This record gives sequence, C-alpha cells and structure tokens, in this order.
Amino acid sequence: MALIYMNMTLAFTVSLLGLLMYRSHLMSSLLCLEGMMLSLFVTMAITILNSHLILASMIPIIMLVFAACEAALGLSLLVMVSNTYGVDHVQNLNLLQC
Amino acid sequence: MNLFTSSMLLTLLILMMPVMMSNLNIYTKSSYPNYVKTMVSYAFMTSLIPTIIFIQSGQDMVISNWHWMTIQTMKLTLSFKLDYFSMIFMPVALFVTWSIMEFSLWYMHSDPNINRFFKYLLMFLITMMILVTANNLFQLFIGWEGVGIMSFMLIGWWFGRADANTAALQAILYNRIGDVGLLMAMAWFLFNLNTWELQQIFSLNPTNTNLPLAGLLLAATGKSAQFGLHPWLPSAMEGPTPVSALLHSSTMVVAGIFLLIRFYPLTENNKTIQTMMLCLGAITTLFTAICALTQNDIKKIVAFSTSSQLGLMMVTVGINQPHLAFLHICTHAFFKAMLFMCSGSIIHSLGDEQDIRKMGGLYKTLPFTTTALITGSLALTGTPFLTGFYSKDLIIESINTSYTNAWALMLTLIATSLTAVYSTRIIYFALMGQPRFPTLILINENNPLLMNPIKRLLMGSIFAGFLISNNITPMTVPQMTMPTHLKMTAIMITLLGFTVALELSLATQNLKFKSPSNSTKFSTLLGYFPTTMHRLQPFLNLLASQKVASMILDLTWLENILPKSISAFQMSTSTMISTQKGQIKLYFLSFLITLALTLLTLKYI
Repeated sequence: MALIYMNMTLAFTVSLLGLLMYRSHLMSSLLCLEGMMLSLFVTMAITILNSHLILASMIPIIMLVFAACEAALGLSLLVMVSNTYGVDHVQNLNLLQC
Repeated sequence: MNLFTSSMLLTLLILMMPVMMSNLNIYTKSSYPNYVKTMVSYAFMTSLIPTIIFIQSGQDMVISNWHWMTIQTMKLTLSFKLDYFSMIFMPVALFVTWSIMEFSLWYMHSDPNINRFFKYLLMFLITMMILVTANNLFQLFIGWEGVGIMSFMLIGWWFGRADANTAALQAILYNRIGDVGLLMAMAWFLFNLNTWELQQIFSLNPTNTNLPLAGLLLAATGKSAQFGLHPWLPSAMEGPTPVSALLHSSTMVVAGIFLLIRFYPLTENNKTIQTMMLCLGAITTLFTAICALTQNDIKKIVAFSTSSQLGLMMVTVGINQPHLAFLHICTHAFFKAMLFMCSGSIIHSLGDEQDIRKMGGLYKTLPFTTTALITGSLALTGTPFLTGFYSKDLIIESINTSYTNAWALMLTLIATSLTAVYSTRIIYFALMGQPRFPTLILINENNPLLMNPIKRLLMGSIFAGFLISNNITPMTVPQMTMPTHLKMTAIMITLLGFTVALELSLATQNLKFKSPSNSTKFSTLLGYFPTTMHRLQPFLNLLASQKVASMILDLTWLENILPKSISAFQMSTSTMISTQKGQIKLYFLSFLITLALTLLTLKYI
C-alpha cells in the first residue's frame, strides 16, 4: 500500500481523537470534524485517480456537499448554545438541560 | 253481468272527478266541499249495484284493462280484482267516508283551506280503493304508498304546530319500516314465482313461504300499528278529528290486516306464520288496552281502542279465520268512526277541550251525542245483537274452541274485558257527574251537518252487523256447538269489566289523589316504549359517534399513537437509564474508548 494511505489514516485518527476529547470549546470539535472530512476527501481522490475509476469521480464532490451541510448544522447548534449561555464551554452541554 | 263491470268502473270514475276538477275554477268556490261530499255519496250508491250483484250471484270478477309493460317474462297490467273482500269493503268504506265528509263540513267550517282538506280526503279514499281492488302486488303497493303519503299530509294539517309535524314524520318512519317487509315479499314473489298477480301466486301454491309471509307480517305490523311499530297511531291524533275518524280508525290502519287477509291461501298452509300472527296480535291487543286505561285525552283513548281491535283482527287471522277478521273490519269501521265523530262533537262544543278530566255532565246538555257515544261503546264491547256482536263474539268463540295456545287466548280475553273498562271510563268521565268545564261555553249540537252523519252511522252501528252477516256468502263453517261456559265467556268478561270499572269509579271518586304507583306510570307512559326507543337509542348512537370522532380519532389516533408516544417513551427510558450527569464530553470519551477497545481486541474486522 502506498504511504499516502497510511498518512491519511493517521490524520483521520488524530482528528477523531480531537473530536472526541476536547477540553473547553465546542468549536474545536467542529474544526476536527472538518479535518476528518479533509482526510477522507484526499484518501478518496487518491484512490480514484490511482485506479483510474473515472465513473466514481463524483463521489468526492458529493462528499464535499454533505460535509458542507453537516458543518452548517454544527454551526447552527453552536449558535444555539451560544444564544443560551453566551460562550460555548462544554460544561454547559448537559442532557438534563440544554 | 255487464252492469257489474261498468258500475264498478263508474264508481271509481265518480271518485276521481273532483280531483281532476281541482284544476278548474270550481276549486276556489266555497261549494267545492259540498260537491265532493255529494260525489262520494253518489259513488256509494253506485257501488251498491256491483255488491248486490255479487251477493246474489256469488261470482268474482277480474278486470284487466291496460297492459303496461312486460319485463322479460313478467307482465304488468292494470287489473282490478272484484271478489268477496273488495266488493263488500267498498260500500262500507264509501258509506263511512260520506258520513265523515259531511261531519267535516261542520267540524272544519272555519278553516280557510277547507277545499284542500277535502281534496286530500278524497285522494286518500282513491288510493285506499286502489289498494283494496288491486289484483297485482304492484298496484297494491301504489295504493299502499298513496295512503301513507296522504296520512302524512293529513296528520300534519296544522303544520304550524311542532307536535303535529313530529307525529306526521313518526307515521311515515314507522310505515317505512313496514314497507321494507312488503318489498321483500314482492321481491321473493318476483324471483321464485315470476309474477305479481294474485291468481298466479295462489295457483302455484308454493311450499316454503316463510320468508314472504314474514315480510307481509312486517308490512302489516307497520301499517296496522302492531306491537313494535305502534307508537305512531296515538301520535297521529294530532290531526283533525275527521282525519282520525277516517284514516286511523276505519280505513288506513286496516290496510295491513287486509293485506294478510288477501293472502289467506298462503297463510292457511303455514303454521309458523299463523303462530307468529297470533302471538303478535295477542301482545298488541293487551298492551294497547293497558295503555288506554290511564290516558286522559279522549282521542288517544279511542286511538288505543282502535289499536287493540287491530290486535284482535291479527289474532283472528292467526287462528286461520280470515273471513271473520274481514267481517270485524267492516263492522268496526261503523262504530269506531262514530266514536270519533262523537268525540269531535264534544271537543268542538267545549271549545277545543280534549281532556276528559275537564269534561263531565254532558248527559243532559248533549243528549244526541251521549246516545251515540253510549251505543258506540256498547257495540265496541260486543253487546248482544248490536253490530260488534256479530263479529267480535264469533271471534271469541272461535278462539275459545280452536287448537291454539292458551297464553294468547288468555291475553285476548283480558284485553276484551279491558275494552269494557276503558269504555266505561270514557262514559263516566265525559258524560256523567257534574260539569268540570268553564261555564261560559255555548254547547250546541243542533247542526244537521253534525247530526245526520252520526244518525246514519248510529243506524249502521245497530243494524249493519245483522245486515252484512246475513247477506254475505258463507265462506267458512262457524263453530256451532260448544260448552255453555265457553259460549258465555265473552259476555261474562265484558260484564265483569263494566262492573269493576263502574264500582271503582264510584267508590274512589271522592278519595284523595295519591302520587302514581309503578303500574300506573307504566300505563301512562305507554309501557316506556316511546321513551326508550325514541330517546334512548338516538342518544346512545350520537354519544358513541361523538366519542369515536373526538376521543378515538382526534386524541388517540392523530396525536397519541406516534408523536406523543415516541417522545414519552424516549424521555421515560432515558430518565430511567441514566444515572449520571448529562455531560456530552464524557459520552464522547466513552465512544472513543469503545472504538479503541474494538480495534485492539478484534483484529478480524
């Protein structure tokens, strides 16, 4: 397997760690989400270009669209939390009361 | 022979003339009612000719005029059956109608729409004649529906009164339920015998006739107010007294019994239907006699009396004596119409007072009406050698000596004695004692328009039984010999009824009035039948449908099944499961730990 795959897998794992373990701000979680998206995009594009699978060329673009949607969704959630508390500290996010 | 056919058709034509004339100028004149009455009297006299020819020669006749259409193999024509039943009923009905029309010239004198009233009465009479002379079921159905419609329009004559409209609608609804039975019988005859003509039905003599005869029994229950479909008859007293006298005592309500009598060749072979008719008639006659005991409206007492006599006719058909029932129809018409006309005379003279508790002392002030009322009541109870005796006593004797169930016999005998009781009640309250009406009433019965019809029907009430039963051709053999105690049953229980009623009335007339007991309430409220059937059933239906619409549809199905149940379920389970705080950071951490453990331990993913 080429080295790039291992690189991207590592990047994905690091971003996943960053998504699930964050200290105080929700915003950092969202940024890591973008990082995951980026690594997946590169992996997909390299695979498709390497194996000359032209028909699958639309998949990265569709993935970009979906990532944009989920980023918008995450940002709207951030805005809602911010509306309630003023800052986005994660200790405020409680299932018992949002 | 020629005179039979032509005078019969002439009678029907004479009856139709005033209805056809109603489009012309004569309808607007005030001489129209007198014209109608005169035409009916001419029709009566013309109809005597075929009757006398029939009595003398004993020949039936069928007039089949006009071929209307043929539906595949069934031929529909306009045919009149002039046999025993129609030939004797026609003069009786025309005589009674003539008297009633003359009476209503006096009774409805101040009504501005008297021309329309007479036209309606005449249209009713024409449809009744169609019903009686019909040879096929289709023509009979036309007459059947026609009398139903005219009954509706005449009961609701004073349509400004809400009670009258309700009563007219009630009559139509109850009759409609009976019509379903008639339609079922017609359909059965159509499918199985391929005909609606009576001759073909009787000559084919089908064996399994339970279904059509049950349909005809239902039709008779609806039209003749047997128990179960009976409340419309007392309510029909909302109409004017001539309407009550004509429709709801002599002619329309006997149409159901007449239908069953017409089909006697089929009923005499079917024991099941005979038993059903017997039991239904026995229940009807006793129940309505009980209800008549505590009514306070004179017209309602007479209406329940009619209903009781109709039950007696049904009992007679049930013991396989259709000709006796027919004789009772003819004799009953005379004295019942006269009873209604006497009630009308009393009501009008007292200033439209119908409550017998406010009458009294009319024995001296209305002597002629008193005579007629007492004679009519005696004829009704079957006093020997008056009119009612010739039919009613024969019926009681037949039922005593026939192989029938003792329960129906007992009910009929009790109802016969109750007939005497409520007749005594009318006489006692309306005629005897001191007057209980206001003193500023002008009591006047000197109008010949009032007295002549009552006089004619009085002569009929006394002599008609004798004349009819001695002149008709005997179709069955009456029971000639029986033990003395059976022969004297009718007269004994009638005398018992009279005596008990008179004793009770005289003994209790000065006692304090107590609040009614349960049996009195049962009788006054007509056996709770209207209360449960008219009020309870629709209320339960409406309540059930309201519950279905609001609770089941709106609350449960649209709101609670998916949306609220899912949210309630999730909330309840999450509060049940989570024992910790809801911090999301910890949940992310646990997700990560799970993922790492999976990757480390399971290498074969």
